[in-house]
Amino acid sequence: MSRLPPVVIDNGTGYTKMGFAGNTDPQFVIPTAIGLPNQSRHGIASKRGIEDLDFYIGDEAISNAKTYGVKYPIRHGQIENWDHMERYWEQSIFKYMRCEPEDHYFLLTEPPLNAPENREQMAEIFFESFNVQGMYIAVQAVLALAASWTAKNSQQTLTGTVIDSGDGVTHVIPVAEGYVLGSSIKHIPIAGRDITAFVQQLLRDHGETSIPPEDSLEVARRIKEQYSYTCHDMAKEFAKFDADPVKYYKRFDTINSINQSTYSVDVGYERFLAPEVFFNPELVSSDFLTPLPDIVDTCIQVSPIDTRRGLYSNIVLSGGSTMFKDFGKRLQRDIKRIVDGRVKKSEELSGGRLQAKPIDVNVVAHKKQRHAVWFGGSIMACTDQFYQFSHTKAEYEEHGPSICRHNRVFESLA
Amino acid sequence: MILLEPNSYVLEETLLARFTSEKPEIVDITLVDFDNVVYHVQTSAEQRNLLNLSVEMKYFNEVVEYGAQDILKREYGDYLVPTANPQYQITLQFNLEQLPADKAALAKHVSMLKRNMLASSFIRAFEYWESQQEGAGPLMTTHYRDNEAIYVQAQQDRVTVIFSTLFKEEVDRVLGKVFLQEFVDARRQVSIQNAPQVLYSSREPPLEIRHLSNLRQDESVGYVSFVLFPRHFADMESREKTISQIQLFRDYLHYHIKCAKAYMHSRMRLRVQEFLKVINRAKPDRVTAASDKRTATGRYMRPHLRQPTSPQHVESDW
Amino acid sequence: MSNTLRPYLNAVRSTLTAAMCLENFASQIVEKHNVPEVEAGNTKEVLLNPLIVSRNENEQVLIESSINSVRVSIRIKQADDIERILAHKFTRFLMMRAENFVILRRVPIKGYDISFLVTNFHTEQMFKHKLVDFIIEFMEEVDKEISEMKLSINARARIVAESYLSQFV
Repeated sequence: MSRLPPVVIDNGTGYTKMGFAGNTDPQFVIPTAIGLPNQSRHGIASKRGIEDLDFYIGDEAISNAKTYGVKYPIRHGQIENWDHMERYWEQSIFKYMRCEPEDHYFLLTEPPLNAPENREQMAEIFFESFNVQGMYIAVQAVLALAASWTAKNSQQTLTGTVIDSGDGVTHVIPVAEGYVLGSSIKHIPIAGRDITAFVQQLLRDHGETSIPPEDSLEVARRIKEQYSYTCHDMAKEFAKFDADPVKYYKRFDTINSINQSTYSVDVGYERFLAPEVFFNPELVSSDFLTPLPDIVDTCIQVSPIDTRRGLYSNIVLSGGSTMFKDFGKRLQRDIKRIVDGRVKKSEELSGGRLQAKPIDVNVVAHKKQRHAVWFGGSIMACTDQFYQFSHTKAEYEEHGPSICRHNRVFESLA
Repeated sequence: MILLEPNSYVLEETLLARFTSEKPEIVDITLVDFDNVVYHVQTSAEQRNLLNLSVEMKYFNEVVEYGAQDILKREYGDYLVPTANPQYQITLQFNLEQLPADKAALAKHVSMLKRNMLASSFIRAFEYWESQQEGAGPLMTTHYRDNEAIYVQAQQDRVTVIFSTLFKEEVDRVLGKVFLQEFVDARRQVSIQNAPQVLYSSREPPLEIRHLSNLRQDESVGYVSFVLFPRHFADMESREKTISQIQLFRDYLHYHIKCAKAYMHSRMRLRVQEFLKVINRAKPDRVTAASDKRTATGRYMRPHLRQPTSPQHVESDW
Repeated sequence: MSNTLRPYLNAVRSTLTAAMCLENFASQIVEKHNVPEVEAGNTKEVLLNPLIVSRNENEQVLIESSINSVRVSIRIKQADDIERILAHKFTRFLMMRAENFVILRRVPIKGYDISFLVTNFHTEQMFKHKLVDFIIEFMEEVDKEISEMKLSINARARIVAESYLSQFV
């Protein structure tokens, strides 16, 4: 009997991506939100009913926010409320994916440096509540690396630096041979949400009074997604815009969500200033001032010395906030500049006696960047090895949830 | 969500996205429904505006005997491709440039495909009853899952539907028994006295199918019989509703067993927290003047009291 | 509360309180080791006679004490299949989180559902009477929780069945 495709679920802080393995895009991308009835009437006290089935997830939770309290079970990438999460999965599987979990393998994701206890809890839920055939919990960063294998200039290794920028936070995660180098992970408190807020501010500053306040954030988000690009040099770009505004300014037409009238917005400097936030954080933040290329460089410099070349040569982008046009090129140029500067300096200091082999800096951008983690999972779950690496129901019965502490991918190394 | 929907939400959404997208993209999507049904949505290789939906259904040969082909022609005749793609049993083809105006309705209708196929044996049984023949009609079997089957048989005054259902696990078996017992007892309620009669037996197959040879007889198998009376299928409307509901019985049961387990988990989590409070009362407060000393950054001096800080919780509050 | 439960719990409480008389005791077999003697069982002279407090054949507590440790094992009432499953699931759930409970053993003694191991280090660092309180409260609550869970499962099942069948009406 041919196996049914495994189910891949990537629960992120902001959005949950889920779908069947083998597809190139997740079938559902919905907010990781659960709407529970406002009165806390289903505490442990009311045990005479099935009130715990009265809830919505995803977009339905958001749209029912008036009568249901919206809760976010995941905070900072980690599951905080297991009760809510269990029910979130329950509905994801039966209503959205519509599959019988007993017939499928599951691939789930976890953030880097996840506590093994969390993994055990996941296993407990999936094996005991849902009776899944087997499951594998993969680290998000590793999946993002796997996703980059489809790119043209990819090297198909599991060594590389992952820049994962979603809605809430940006991580820089070095991975060597599939191992996450936990001590070198760096964070930037700037991500999609901040950029949108920045665009919103810019629009307000140049007097776009036609935008109704309730649509303001949404308009800013769409302008960010549609018109932004990364420039070579901020000063030159300003000059370019000022010299020929007609050519560079864009008009954005949209509909007022309340009275349905159309209005238009001029889009100017924000086109290149939005992604510029990563390279000049002082635009939005007063306490965090290190540009992204510097962070990536430090992150690699604090990693073990024998992995550094590999890390420089495979810098992989993942997440929606890395989707700006030419973002990869700019990043590559800036990192290259830092690295070359350092190499040159050390050559000078040695008085020309030492010649360093030039370091290859390579930023990999690819088409599946937005849902890279999910896509990586989809690829992984299609391989034959997936079934070897998964923990099966039988093993769970035999050994208990502690099986999830062990990752079979690294078996030969252990 | 108490009841399950008869149509496949994921198929509906996927099709609708294709139907309404402005430029036809090349897609190749595999989807799954309950009971091992696999859908394959694929753009035709030569022509981008043609979208193929192939369906793999293990029990298709069985339902064809009960007239599934006619239903298929009736419901999806405009889109049906005479020979299905290899490995698949049914192929529908949609021309994205010539879709009817109401695309949402079409997507919804197509997402009922599995339901309509599985309906064939029920419809055949209801027709047999309408013909008012003497004696019992043929016993129609649909092996909708490995080791699990639906048996439908029409009698003169009723239609009997028997599900054989398999519980892979001890816990499920016990919980399933509790649930099924309630199905049997539920008819005592005045409000649902008109519901079909439900009978349940574990191990022992019911009379109607006892003559079949390949039945499993052990603890893990349960047989649930529904006795449908004419009022459940006399008019077309209630007939359709009955079919939609009854064929989801197995999924409904298993869904609720899983929900019950999830509910137990949340109760147990709460109880664990309460027990922890009790045991923590046994630990004396160790806060003395000496241990209160902190460094300039607010950390404790004593190593074991230090708050854990991991690099990924930059702004987290723990 | 039935009238046999109180005396049963009282008996367990006083036995436990007496058994919690523990002192530090280094292993006589391996130098510089200090093991709970009741677990090791190698030094017969420091083991006391095990004691069973029994309410009926389904509800028993086994208390095995020694010079530096006491092991308490509880057999939880299980009247039928569903209670057996619930008790098993619940104790397993607790034992998964054993490290938080300090005195909980990860595996129960054969024939019992859940076991606790209290050593002299526990009694030195924690209040003895509160530890006893915990075990007694645990015994009370477990029974209550299991019967409540059973009730709520039944109630769920009824609603599930009714809402399914009412579709046909």
